[in-house]
Amino acid sequence: MRGITFDWAGVVTGQPAQWLLSGFLTTVYVTVAGCVLASAVALVVVALRLAPGRVGRYAAGTFVEIFLNTPILVQMLFWYFAAYGLLPRTWRLFINADHPWAVLPVNVIVLAPEFLCAAWGLGLFTAVFLAQELRTGLNAVPKGQTEAAMAQGLSSWQTLRFVLLPQALVNAWQPLVGQYLNLMKLSSLATGIGLAELTSQVRKIESYNAHSLEAFAVGTAIYLALGVAMGRLLLLVGPKRPDRKRSAPPERAGALVVASSARGSDGI
Amino acid sequence: MGFDFSVIRDNLPYLLWGRTAYGEPGGLLLTVIMAICAGVLALAVGIALALAAWRYGGWTRRLLFAWADFIRGIPLLFVIFWLYFLIPALFGGHVPGAVTVIVALAWFSSAAIMYSTLAGLESLSAGQSEAGIASGLSQSQVLWLILLPQAISNLVPSYVGLLVSLIKDTSLAFIVNVPELTTVAEQVNNRSQIYPMEIFLFIGLLYFILCGGLSWAARTPARF
Repeated sequence: MRGITFDWAGVVTGQPAQWLLSGFLTTVYVTVAGCVLASAVALVVVALRLAPGRVGRYAAGTFVEIFLNTPILVQMLFWYFAAYGLLPRTWRLFINADHPWAVLPVNVIVLAPEFLCAAWGLGLFTAVFLAQELRTGLNAVPKGQTEAAMAQGLSSWQTLRFVLLPQALVNAWQPLVGQYLNLMKLSSLATGIGLAELTSQVRKIESYNAHSLEAFAVGTAIYLALGVAMGRLLLLVGPKRPDRKRSAPPERAGALVVASSARGSDGI
Repeated sequence: MGFDFSVIRDNLPYLLWGRTAYGEPGGLLLTVIMAICAGVLALAVGIALALAAWRYGGWTRRLLFAWADFIRGIPLLFVIFWLYFLIPALFGGHVPGAVTVIVALAWFSSAAIMYSTLAGLESLSAGQSEAGIASGLSQSQVLWLILLPQAISNLVPSYVGLLVSLIKDTSLAFIVNVPELTTVAEQVNNRSQIYPMEIFLFIGLLYFILCGGLSWAARTPARF
């Protein structure tokens, strides 16, 4: 067995360093885009599940079952190879045209089929898990909250928006952050549809100068660091339980939760 | 647009079992084989680690948690890459890609199994342990004869959930070109070019039947 020697300069300087930087940024961009889409879709799914009317409930349930029981990689391949081709020709021409405003630093083209399909696929897949966590969070809200809100004359939509959802977000924030982190890690699969994100750049270095061990180590470290930073940031900006030290009488504790997390949830 | 499923009919044997007739299992068959092997390995390792963490506590436990957090902190794809590199370096010689992916999947999932098994052990009431000790059993006997059997029967739904994830995760073998279902589908797609919709819908359906069927079986009232 040959001795293993490390040559870090082959990975963290020159052209490979450039690749790593643009790969890292692409991973960040696609993660942000995917998280925003996932959150929006998750809210729609939860609203459909709670709304009266069977059609919406069945639609949401079917969506969840399909996306839960097929691999994210197959979903991405489907969006990229099959569904993208169904877009109107004019849209595809528009996407493929040059758009200086759609180029983020460092030279990452956002309006490209690979990026769009990756963000879309990651967003829809993660939305299902976000919706499940939100539902668990909603179930943990005491029933009295709904009754109290109704008694105040709020409509069922207002009850959801201003009373239940803020408290559900507080309850479920930790697992929700876990799902956002998962989306970041799953973005590595976009290498399968040719998105030049971190994983794909790491493999490019491997075939460029065969520094695979060093490249994997650096890639692993970047993903770990990005995960830790993202987790900290999300916990920091997320809704928090009200300060327990402030001694609110028990009846008012619930109202406090609503007020403070309603403020917190606006920042998401 | 109209669907033309003749591409599925023509390639059905290849999609289902690849080149098994030539001694190289592939397609859906390889997906199932990989999921079962990785599942059995992950269960054995994960439960063993949970028992170790429960029994010894302290540094053993902290070390195991750090290891599990590390594994869960990086993309599964990187675990696969590392093993592609490390297994030949440690054991020398050629190791089939499918085996490497199985080990990677098992390694990755065992961290999750360790966590849920430990949670299952901790959720049992302390009276169970106390009663065992009072009956004259040793710590290990209490763990093995009283706590573990109860924990495992409570944990069956959670284990099935992990097995479903495992089935879905076998699709990652596509990235390293192991000929399981996703890889052979992409090969057929490359060859036929104009039927991506039919092909990916069909293999999506196969995964759905496997995973959905398992979760459904786990949800129907247990008779274990």
